[in-house]
Parts: sequence; structure tokens; C-alpha cells
Amino acid sequence: MNSPLVLEPLFHVGPIPITSPVLVTWAIMIALALICRFATARLTLEPSRFQAVLELLVSTVDGLVADTMQSEPARYRALIGTILIYVLIANWSSLIPGIEPPTAHLETDAALAFIVFCATIYYGVRALGLGGYLRTFAEPSWVMIPLNVVEQITRTFSLLVRLFGNIMSGVFVIGIVLSLAGLLVPIPFMALDLLTGAVQAYIFAVLACVFIGAAISEGQASRKSDGKEPTSP
Amino acid sequence: MQIDWWTLGLQTANVLVLVWILGRFLFRPVAGMIEQRRVLASKALDDARVAQAAAEAARAEAERTTADLARSRADALKKAAQEAEAEKQGIIAAARTEAERVREAAKADIARARADEAAAARGRASALALDIADKLLSRLPEQARIDGFIPGLAEGLAALPDEIRAGLGADGHPVRLKAARALSDAEVNACREQLSRALGRPVEIACETDPALIAGLELDMPHAAVRNSLRADLDRVAGALAKGSKAGAPGSNGSATP
Repeated sequence: MNSPLVLEPLFHVGPIPITSPVLVTWAIMIALALICRFATARLTLEPSRFQAVLELLVSTVDGLVADTMQSEPARYRALIGTILIYVLIANWSSLIPGIEPPTAHLETDAALAFIVFCATIYYGVRALGLGGYLRTFAEPSWVMIPLNVVEQITRTFSLLVRLFGNIMSGVFVIGIVLSLAGLLVPIPFMALDLLTGAVQAYIFAVLACVFIGAAISEGQASRKSDGKEPTSP
Repeated sequence: MQIDWWTLGLQTANVLVLVWILGRFLFRPVAGMIEQRRVLASKALDDARVAQAAAEAARAEAERTTADLARSRADALKKAAQEAEAEKQGIIAAARTEAERVREAAKADIARARADEAAAARGRASALALDIADKLLSRLPEQARIDGFIPGLAEGLAALPDEIRAGLGADGHPVRLKAARALSDAEVNACREQLSRALGRPVEIACETDPALIAGLELDMPHAAVRNSLRADLDRVAGALAKGSKAGAPGSNGSATP
């Protein structure tokens, strides 16, 4: 019996193996692209109900970014909003029979965490410059450089492990209960899984904001203490 | 447990592509619409502020106009009150003048009425006196109505100026002698004698009867007259009474001397 944590390729495109998370992610991408293209084709100043929902979603993402990062949300809206929407839909995709959520596999969570890691570095360098960003690792003293480097890696690792553990455990619990009990018994666990998926999506997006915001604000705080002008993020 | 690096790479690319898709087709247009609505709302608010400022200015102007109107109204009322007071004073003055005029006219009417009443009273007194005198004379003999008045007539004639006396009866015309009753021949002769003596030359007389004389004689000449009759005496008394009443001294008829 193969481990459920091991991905088996469904098919190959050339030398590239295509696994189920990739396939489900493509499906999610296509669905989101079509919905967004259709939904935003008829935007008006007097919004319909669906447009109001979309505006509420965008306003929520903007509020999340603004509250967490204390910065203008336009620059981070696409990244944070995409992470929130994708993780939420990926987590809830387990409701479709036969679909295993992509976030229940380590590769997808690692990809998301890697993107957040790279975004943290990108926005930190963009806001503070390369030297300024690197100097943040020496705060409050150079002795802290190893610890800060380790912190960058471990918090990214914790990000992916948290999402992976929660979603994977939910899938396992439902699978185990379904194999042990009848057809309707897993439903409460599935409902709980929905709540867990929403909470994990929100936590992942908030932590992404926190990490990026920390990369920006730490440098600005150190520059203020040095008497230098802060760079606009 | 092992990591499928191909899946990791593909998922990373997938998420990045999804970031672009959602950013391009969801977040940008929706955020743009929100921003557009915010701009329109801000513009509407600005327009509302401008309109409010204009309304405030209009209200201030209206209040200023109202204050000006109130001030003008107060001034107009004050002016109207002054004009009304002036007109009132004018009306009062005119009324006083009219009242004074009416009072003066009433005074004049009263005085005239009093004068008329006095004249009427005098007339009645004269009539009464004539009646009394007539009744008294009726108790005397008829001769007394003439005899006692002939000397007085001669004295009156003698008192006339010389030129008048010289012209009396000089052109051959007889002297007109009026008597209270028809004279007898003796009385005519007596009169002729007395008058001739007074004139210093003989004179002819033409006798006329005038009962209004009551008693006595009168001479009528073109430019003079000699009255020595009871009627003339009563007229003089009445004239004296009238003069006394005009002078505000009633009861002066006893002082008149015939």
C-alpha cells in the first residue's frame, strides 16, 4: 500500500509528471479566470448583488492588508487576495467527491510558503534597498544575524507545516471516519473541515501580510532610530 | 515522505499565474470601480459642499436683505409716523382755525342777533312810547298838540345857518309845514307869524297833515329840515338808546333831550 503522502503522477506532459494537486489547481485557475472575466465584464457604478459581493471581497482584502501592514493595500492586494481566495477554494474543494484538496499535499503548501518567502524578500528589498534589507538581519545587533536568518526559514516552514497539517489531518480524519462508519457520519467532520479550511486560509493570508509588513516596518523603524528618512514601501 | 519537485515547481508557477489572473481580471477592475465610485462620491461631496457654501452665501444674502428690508420698513414706518403726526398737527391747526372762524362767525351772528333783538326791542319800545304818548296826548286838548310846538319850531328855524334861512321861501314857493293834524286858521296864522319873525321877513306856508308826528310841527326844506314834533323827539330818544346799547351802556334813554 502506498503512503497517502506520496503523489502519484496521473499522466505526463513530456518529462513532466502531472499530479492531482496540479490538475485540481488548474481547474481552480480556469474556474476563477472564467468567473472573474464574466463577473468583471459588466461592472457598473450601481452594483448588482454579485458585484457587491466582489467589492466586499476586495474591500475585505484591502482592509486586511491595511490593518496588518499599515500600508497602502494596492501593491499587495493581488498577492494577498490570491493567496486568500486560492487557499480557501483549495481547502473547500474537498467537498467535491473524488477531489483531494491541493493544500493537503506538501508541495502546494510549500509552493505557497515559498512565494510568501520570496515576496517578503522582494518587498523588503524594494522598500529598503538590498543593503537596508540585509541590515535588518543585524537588528538589534550583529549577533542576531544567525537567529534572524533561522527565523526567516523557520517561520516560512511553520507557515507551510501549519496549513499542510490542518488540511491533511482533516482529509485523513474524514477518510478514516468514512472507512469506519456509514455514509452520513463524516458530514459533521466535513463541516468542521470547512471551518478549518476558512480559518487556515485567513491565517495564511494574515501571516503573509505580517511577514511582508514586518520586512518593511523593521527597516523603517531602524532607519527612524538612525535618523534617516524612511523609504516609501 | 518525499517532495515531488515537479509538482512544487508547477504549483509555484500556477499560483504566480493565478496571482496575475486575479490581479488582472478581478482585483484591478473591481478596485478601479470602487475607486471610481469613491471619486464620484468625493466629487459629489465637494459639489455638495460648494452648493452648501453657495446656499450659506445665499442665506446670508437673504438675511442681509431681510435686515435691510426691516430697516427700510422701520424707517418707512418712522417717516410715515412723522408725516402722520405732521398731518395730524396740520389737521388740528386747521380744525382750530375753522373752530375759531366758526366761533367768530357765531359771535358775529350772536352780536347781530343781539343787535337785531335790540333794534326790535327799540322798535317795540318806540311803538310803546308812541302808543303811550298818543294815549297821554289824547287826554290833553287837541290844541296842545300844536300850540306848544310853534315857538320851538321858530327857534329851530332861527338856529339854522343864514344861507339856508335866506333860501327858505325866497323863490315864491311856500314853506312846507307838516302838522300832526289839520291846522286851524288861527294856528296857521300863528305859525306864519312866528316863522316870519324868525326869518325876519314874511313867508307863506303850505300845511300838510302827518298823523305819524303825533304832536308838533316840522319844516321840510330842500337842503334842511326843522323837526319839532313828538315823533322826532322819540326818534332822537331811540337813536340815543341805540347809541347807548352799542356803547354797552344800556338805560341811557332817560338822558336824551328833545
